[in-house]
Amino acid sequence: MTALLIAVGVLCAINTGLALLLMIAAATLGRVGPCRITINGEKALTVAGGRSLLATLKDEHLFIPSACGGRGSCGLCKVTVLEGAGTLLPTETPWLTPEEQKANVRLACQVKVRRDLQIRIPDELFQVKQYRARVTDLADLTHDIKQVTLELEEPPEIRFKAGQYIQLEVPPYALTDEPVYRAYSVASDPADTRRIELEIRYVHNGICTTYVHKHLKVGDTVTLNGPYGEFGLTDSGAEMLCIAGGSGMAPIKSILHEMARTRSPRRCRYFFGARARRDLFLLEPMRELEKALPDFRFIPALSNPDPADAWEGETGRVTEVVARHVQDASQAEAFLCGSPLMIDACIQVLRDKGMPDSKIFYDKFS
Amino acid sequence: MKQSRQDDIIQDRMRPGVITRDGLLGSDRRSLRDILEADEAEVCRLGLSHAAIAARLRDLRDAGAQGLGEPVTVFDHFEVRVDSVRGLLPCPFPHEGLCRKEFVDVRNLRSDERVTYTEMNIHMIEAHGFYEGTGSPFRQEPAVLARVLEISCA
Repeated sequence: MTALLIAVGVLCAINTGLALLLMIAAATLGRVGPCRITINGEKALTVAGGRSLLATLKDEHLFIPSACGGRGSCGLCKVTVLEGAGTLLPTETPWLTPEEQKANVRLACQVKVRRDLQIRIPDELFQVKQYRARVTDLADLTHDIKQVTLELEEPPEIRFKAGQYIQLEVPPYALTDEPVYRAYSVASDPADTRRIELEIRYVHNGICTTYVHKHLKVGDTVTLNGPYGEFGLTDSGAEMLCIAGGSGMAPIKSILHEMARTRSPRRCRYFFGARARRDLFLLEPMRELEKALPDFRFIPALSNPDPADAWEGETGRVTEVVARHVQDASQAEAFLCGSPLMIDACIQVLRDKGMPDSKIFYDKFS
Repeated sequence: MKQSRQDDIIQDRMRPGVITRDGLLGSDRRSLRDILEADEAEVCRLGLSHAAIAARLRDLRDAGAQGLGEPVTVFDHFEVRVDSVRGLLPCPFPHEGLCRKEFVDVRNLRSDERVTYTEMNIHMIEAHGFYEGTGSPFRQEPAVLARVLEISCA
């Protein structure tokens, strides 16, 4: 009996010792101390190690664009890591061309900060800031698109170029237990630095769009960061073919405001695709822009108008309408925004009309 | 069939935050093998096959894609809208290839019932007989798919 009790006691002691050892190992071996991140050979940050480079930089108010919340599924958060990133992960390779891999381009969400890092990011990202803003207006543009007007509070002004986008933070609510970010193009005139307009289309069960359409109220405070993106007006003076659908209206509208303010003489044709009359919006502001700009025409096209619409304008898919109107696109530039399916179809039509890929500009983030 | 070590690895990849924010299992506490076997039995009970269900999902997706992001009416009484967001997702099952983050929203205009599925759903049903766990945001109930999308025995 005594021997049995001793054996049980020894076993318990061994188990307790092992458990303690595991706890000590978890608390010490996994911990990473402070690390130094040198950015573009100039700015140096001392940060707590152990998290992803994306999250670490965000804590330091350096915002790298990301559309998937850091899960390595959007391929947006590319940065060059010259030292300290370790080997390329299988989760990164689908997003990186052989040239990018050779140039040490990595996905910031997949690189863990475990030692000192030397990284390079575009200078524009230093201009990206986090803003607190108040909702001053929510307007239904169609049955499924809302215009959200935000007045900036802190900082009180934003500098952006027509065509750029911001990332709106959705706080935890019924559909998410953690903050998530979604990208939206700014629809307003960049000259209006104190306020921005967004056009947001409802997506069934979409985390951000459900929040905006069903929970957001005038007077609410929201957080956003930006501006991001290279999509925007060029200075070539070439004829412009703008093509959009749905909430893809937003960046084109911003570009047109910019052109109107600077009295741009460029020839511009704007093809806007919708299904029926009830899906069209901002027709009056577009007619106003036709008057303000010397050579601008807005061409809405309905793919399936209701008989009650009594629609006398263009009909067919927007790609068909573009193909009918444009004979030779070799000297023009195209600016596309909308569903990735629409963008892909438009690119094909424009190529067929002689437009080189280098003259086709788009932001395919839906 | 008993859950294998490989099944455990796949099930781990389905947890929240690995491939997608919410994961592919929802509140389902069953093992992956149990989920697969239960759905297999349900599909058999309906007199269908995973291939037939996936084929219908794909046909509706392809027809809806013609709308270029706008809703279109297809096969007389289905309103379909196909949209996508930037990015690609790997399948949790071990093989090469990535799925687009594409969403297909189908409304049966006769019954006014609605189903939303993803390109990943089509692939996982076709290749693995996986409809996601109960409570997952994109769980596809075979019986609901059969009823709303009018999938019948061949």
